[in-house]
Amino acid sequence: MRVSPSAPVPEPPPPEQGLDEQTLVVRAREGDVRAFSELARRHQDALYRLALRLVGNSSDAEDALQESLIDAWRRLVRFRADSSFSTWMYRIVTNRCLDLLRRRRPAVPVDQLAEELAAPAAGAPEQAAEVDAGLAALRVALRRLPDEQRACWVLRELEGLGYAEIAEITGAGETAVRGRIHRARTALAGEMRAWR
Amino acid sequence: MEIEERIEPLACGRDAAEVWDAAVAGRLDEHARSCPHCGAAAADALRLDGVVHRLADERPVPPASVLDRVMNAVADTVIAELRPQDLLVLDSPAGPARLSRAAAARVIRHVVDGMDGMRARSCRIEQDPDTGERTTAQVAITVTARFGVDLASVTARVRQMVLAAGEQALGVPVSRVDITVVDLWEGP
Repeated sequence: MRVSPSAPVPEPPPPEQGLDEQTLVVRAREGDVRAFSELARRHQDALYRLALRLVGNSSDAEDALQESLIDAWRRLVRFRADSSFSTWMYRIVTNRCLDLLRRRRPAVPVDQLAEELAAPAAGAPEQAAEVDAGLAALRVALRRLPDEQRACWVLRELEGLGYAEIAEITGAGETAVRGRIHRARTALAGEMRAWR
Repeated sequence: MEIEERIEPLACGRDAAEVWDAAVAGRLDEHARSCPHCGAAAADALRLDGVVHRLADERPVPPASVLDRVMNAVADTVIAELRPQDLLVLDSPAGPARLSRAAAARVIRHVVDGMDGMRARSCRIEQDPDTGERTTAQVAITVTARFGVDLASVTARVRQMVLAAGEQALGVPVSRVDITVVDLWEGP
């Protein structure tokens, strides 16, 4: 392939991209904005997924992510490395989403969750329809769970975290976390049984 | 609270959550495979598992505008919340100039990062109280080094580079440089 001599030379990536997380956290805590930007860039997708699955729509999830990251910058001075940065961030996002849901009560009626139900189709048309219907039913069932249960279930089943880390994020004991996840699982299984 | 959160055992006495985890992991024992109570719980688990995986496979990402807005807000915060003690005084014949400690630390870290096998981590800069004389600064820096580098010679070089950066890039003479190697890393 020939490259035109006038083709713009891509800028080298910012040096922060090559840094380990602990170095970035220390630098950000000392006021290094670029180190914080790199941390935010690395974690934003996982935090957004969590927010989206807790609050159920992209607009509120974007707001929750944005406010959580700004909040994290302000509180970073007090962050001590007794938990990982990711656990700490999950906690900030979870608390913000649960606050938002509390304020939003009474709950949005399930049949208004149009955005949630409009999942992108994939695969062969008939299979896609089946897949979509199953996912749509799961999304609706998820919205019916109590918020704390949904938070524990999402962290476990969709983000793959362990019980101890979920306990740290939610501030509940490990026994309580285990109980909430199990109750969420059986409730969802019940809803899916009815759907079939 | 804990009582309310406790998991009710299955009618056969088994821990319902354990049966669920075992079913999903494909590790049901002999009892669970023949017990109707465990079987019902395992069927629920497996029925849900496929659709849960499909949901977990969805990877929605936030629009780039979110991070842009965050970093704009952070930049505003940095300026709005800058306190006098966050500033270093730079010598200047035309009157004092000031530089934020965070910016000065960034200059010093950048110098260290440019050295082969070294990365700067913490960088704290203290300056003697402004007495009207030429004030000096003290730098305490922590670094991580690549496995195999000669630590004595690279830390000596870090010291030289920090002294030079203070004098030349910042215009603040550095009277003391404390260097601590806090970690080692493998790789290029």
